[in-house]
Amino acid sequence: MNEKVYEIDLSKMTPREANETIIKMAPKYDKIILKNPHAMHYLIAGLVEEVDIEVDGSAGYFIGTMNDKASIKVNGNVGWFGGDNMTGGKLLIEGSAGDGVGQGIYGGEIIVKKDVGARTGEIMKKGTIIIGGNSGFMTGIFMMGGRIVVLGDLGRDVGESIIRGVIYVLGEVESLGKNAKLVDVTDEDKKELKSLLRKHDFNLNNYDKFRKIIPKSKRPFYGK
Amino acid sequence: MCGIAGIVYKDRKLHNAGEDMGKMLGALQHRGPDSAGFAIYGGVGLEKNEYNINIQVNQKTGLLDKVKMAINQKTPIKSDQVFPSEEDGTIVYRAKIALDEFRQLPPLLHKIDKVDVDVVVLNGSHSFEMIKDIGHVKDIVEKYHVNEIKGTHAIGHTRFSTESNVDRYHAHPFQTYIIKDVTVVHNGQITNYWKIRDPLERKGHVFETNNDTECLVHYISDKLDQGYILEEALHQSVEDMDGPFSYIIGTPEGIGIAKDRLGLRPGVMAENDKIFAIASEEVSLREVMDTTNVEQISPGEVRVYESTPSF
Repeated sequence: MNEKVYEIDLSKMTPREANETIIKMAPKYDKIILKNPHAMHYLIAGLVEEVDIEVDGSAGYFIGTMNDKASIKVNGNVGWFGGDNMTGGKLLIEGSAGDGVGQGIYGGEIIVKKDVGARTGEIMKKGTIIIGGNSGFMTGIFMMGGRIVVLGDLGRDVGESIIRGVIYVLGEVESLGKNAKLVDVTDEDKKELKSLLRKHDFNLNNYDKFRKIIPKSKRPFYGK
Repeated sequence: MCGIAGIVYKDRKLHNAGEDMGKMLGALQHRGPDSAGFAIYGGVGLEKNEYNINIQVNQKTGLLDKVKMAINQKTPIKSDQVFPSEEDGTIVYRAKIALDEFRQLPPLLHKIDKVDVDVVVLNGSHSFEMIKDIGHVKDIVEKYHVNEIKGTHAIGHTRFSTESNVDRYHAHPFQTYIIKDVTVVHNGQITNYWKIRDPLERKGHVFETNNDTECLVHYISDKLDQGYILEEALHQSVEDMDGPFSYIIGTPEGIGIAKDRLGLRPGVMAENDKIFAIASEEVSLREVMDTTNVEQISPGEVRVYESTPSF
């Protein structure tokens, strides 16, 4: 059966018009291609349909916010808060991302092929975030669940005030935040990482080098 | 929220800096509708001792003549230009003058400011052209023929006013006269403003407003005057300033950006063989270059691109 594809030219649309068109067309097509995104903010906001979407260029802030079932691929970079509060689905970013990618997600998968900015996975509850490059300051701040996998280096104060969840890292860790501790991965972790990363076309052969950041305490007590 | 942008042409030759900066700021219009401004360096073509002064003057009868008289008492006006403004009953008057040395400029600007309450000196500069006004980028570009301005590097701003007045003077860039031709565009707030301002005032630096952006440009110029290079001055500012900020400094040698330690304001950069560019968002960079490889400015990070000017 032929795939039903719909193409939207965003060059003369506002974000509101773009999102209204996407939400209207999503139930009718298998795939939507967004041409000329020109780093537009708030693209594909609040979409709950199951559909493939390809963004032919870079997107701005909050791409895919509250996505539930869509599989979104961005053939460029994204700005701040990519995949914010996603509940499911997938967001694949071929380039780099700004601060707060995966902020507050409840589920789903976010994959960024290159570097990202600060506060990756801030207050995330569930779901998976994979960063192909480096992740900056306070990665996993206030993390409450889920997993972050970073194939490059981590910046200052990783896992600041982390409560639950896990941050896997292959590279260096500049410093740890409050309530975060760095430990070795287990054989079970390595098996899980291998399965996850192969699924997303990251073919590594050094799983032994991974380490993980987890909470020191599930009920941390701050101050005296 | 405000939008900031900066560009350097690495060959140090004159390029269409006005047009490029107009496009970069136009793409950031959504970050600030109140006012916009440019400092475009290198294409002014003044003699070593010459300066351009931009003055806002109310159109009431005889006031412009008083301004001209105040300038001519100090030094003859060599040429001038008027930019009318129908909306608010003012004009922007630009006069070219010559002075024996730079330190004569601040007292002259002060004297012009005192001519009348309806006379406001916007800036005085040697190596850059300052354009700033209330309204949208495209209107300002058209009004001041910004697309015709050449330059080696430039900074610019779209303003979303949060605290001080929305008028021509409070539009960015801000300039200092502690040393020659240093400008700033700023997105954010300096929350320990008085802690920074007090020691600068005790040293004799004059503040014209209560605006934290003015504080920033005085602070950096004071450091440069002490012998810091721009990169060192920006690093020191990250240590000394509290609050969310990212700001770009322009000097005759180049531009530099600093971002607060928590990274609460955005900043991205990209460069190729020809251009080094900084902006609040990628959407601005893509107006002047390929943005396949955009770098995030990290919390507390400083980036500078400078070289010896040919002017």
